[in-house]
Amino acid sequence: MNLLTKSTYYFLLLSLLAMITGGALLYLTIKKVIYKQIDNSLIIEKTIIQDQIEQTDTIPDFEATFGHQIEVKLLNYAVRNYQSIKDTDIYDSKTDSFTPFRYIFSTGNTIQKKGYIITIFQEISEKNELLQDISLYMFFLFFSLLLISILINYLIARRLWRPFYKSVKIAGRFDIQSDKPLDLPLTDINEFNQLNDVFYDMTHKMRNDYLNLKEFSENASHEIQTPLAVIRSKTDLLMQQKNLNKESLSLIKSINEATTKLFKLNQGLLLISKIENQVFHEKRIVSLKNILESGLENYTEILQLKKIKVELDLTDGALVEMNDVLAEVLISNLLSNAVRFNIDNGFIKCHIDRNSLTITNTGSSMTIDPEFLFRRFHKGSDNPHSVGLGLSIVKKITETYGMNITYTCHDSVHEIRLQFRHKSH
Amino acid sequence: MKLLIVEDDRSLSRSINDYLKMEGHICEVALTFSDAMQKAAVNKYDCIILDIGLPDGNGLDLIREMKSKKLTGGILILSAKSSLDDKVVGLKIGADDYLTKPFHFAELSARINSIHRRNNFLGLNEITFNEIRIKTEDNQVYVNDTLLILTKKEYDLLLFFMANTNRIITKESIVEHLWGDNVILTDSFDFVYTHVKNLRKKIVAAQGRNYIKCIYGFGYKFIDT
Repeated sequence: MNLLTKSTYYFLLLSLLAMITGGALLYLTIKKVIYKQIDNSLIIEKTIIQDQIEQTDTIPDFEATFGHQIEVKLLNYAVRNYQSIKDTDIYDSKTDSFTPFRYIFSTGNTIQKKGYIITIFQEISEKNELLQDISLYMFFLFFSLLLISILINYLIARRLWRPFYKSVKIAGRFDIQSDKPLDLPLTDINEFNQLNDVFYDMTHKMRNDYLNLKEFSENASHEIQTPLAVIRSKTDLLMQQKNLNKESLSLIKSINEATTKLFKLNQGLLLISKIENQVFHEKRIVSLKNILESGLENYTEILQLKKIKVELDLTDGALVEMNDVLAEVLISNLLSNAVRFNIDNGFIKCHIDRNSLTITNTGSSMTIDPEFLFRRFHKGSDNPHSVGLGLSIVKKITETYGMNITYTCHDSVHEIRLQFRHKSH
Repeated sequence: MKLLIVEDDRSLSRSINDYLKMEGHICEVALTFSDAMQKAAVNKYDCIILDIGLPDGNGLDLIREMKSKKLTGGILILSAKSSLDDKVVGLKIGADDYLTKPFHFAELSARINSIHRRNNFLGLNEITFNEIRIKTEDNQVYVNDTLLILTKKEYDLLLFFMANTNRIITKESIVEHLWGDNVILTDSFDFVYTHVKNLRKKIVAAQGRNYIKCIYGFGYKFIDT
């Protein structure tokens, strides 16, 4: 639920609650006021009659005021003083219905100690109608007030939060690799400006950290090259020495293998960091078909040796705009995997059309999610010569050009599919 | 061949010196840019092995200087930076080749030989090793005057062996030589084994001797038995 809906929702809920309570209270108050008025008029009338009876001992000749119906009875005996005001419904035979009345019932004694009973009725259906009308108007008033205030609230909130949503949208598009700082709009709301400042500082710091890290890894990789070259040169010299015994040879072999692995690792990481640093920013139109065909030539003999069948379905028009070095790295890494992890008498199928490249090959079955292999140092095999960077490099390159890459494996048949993103012209 | 090694890392320059001397070259070492400039001005070298990142100057300037003074001799750039720009600029201003650190000596040797061949047209377009004769101009190999039909890889492999006779050549260096930098992650040595096996078979089939000796676990040695 977004903020606007949520605030409107709460506003509506609380307003309704306030409206119901307020409405009820108002209704009761008005009702009380009306009843008090009725009661007062009943008491006044009763007092007038009572005074007359008490002074004259006769039923006074009265005329009903306020539209009251008055009944007075004189008794021959004394009664207790009593007075009550109540509601009642009286059956009206003319209309065959009950009409609500308020009445006062009062007893007292004259000076001669004779009792009298005064009952005065006041019809209250009119008053009730008034009450109902008031309530209805009140309800409409409240309701329209509520609607208007919700609308105003919504509009204000939407306007106030606009810079926030804009900032969030801009911050969401933040690309750590882009040089451009976040272009956040200046608002007249301090809190949002603060938020923007925080966004800005945070991304700035993130970018700096990222650059430092990137620079560090590239420098580190470079600096490692020379010592590696020294180690390699020394082992090269060492192994050329005559009269080496088997043990020494075995030791040199281990050093040599470790150096090679370190070198490959370093070279792979350096390549990734270079791709990230956009060293390969120059683009040209490359034909993946040509690259793939010449790439396959590298493996002619090994394919024959392993009796791997190659099926090509390559469209001439499949041209992609990318760096030619990276295109070669991409294809050679994919082909190398397809050949290396293939089985004897297996197959490799390559398909290229205008929008995609698919390489399908036989191999061993996989227990892990093939997508994991795109991560650095994740290896699908326990081959000690593999450093686990090939597919990360592939992934990095595809990311650079906004290509979509998927790796699936069904029944030992592996499929890597690349979808190109063509610029719409 | 007379070679100048320009490399500021003492340990590495000494190794290069040792190895190339072992190969029968005459080597001199310059540890600094100024030293290299001096030596290059006074002496005539067949090839200069040049590290670009020197403490007191950029190796690329040395190339420019040499070219402006019309000094002959091949130039092989050696760099820790496999940065494309350096490579492109270096080759553009007159370097003959570019090798990224760390490299195998076998590769260095092969590159120096290849530069030397290219820069000297007379009498060097043919390599002979006993009954094996390679005409580098048209990429043809003869064994006892029988033309061998070799694949591109087998031909490259033979040339690589020729540049490093009587030396142990590791399988790694062969992989790097045959498949280049881009295929760094192709590390299945079966590939090498296949090529070596086929090459050997073809030479022996043409009544050639089997010079390729397998050094178990390491690689191979092209040896005059």
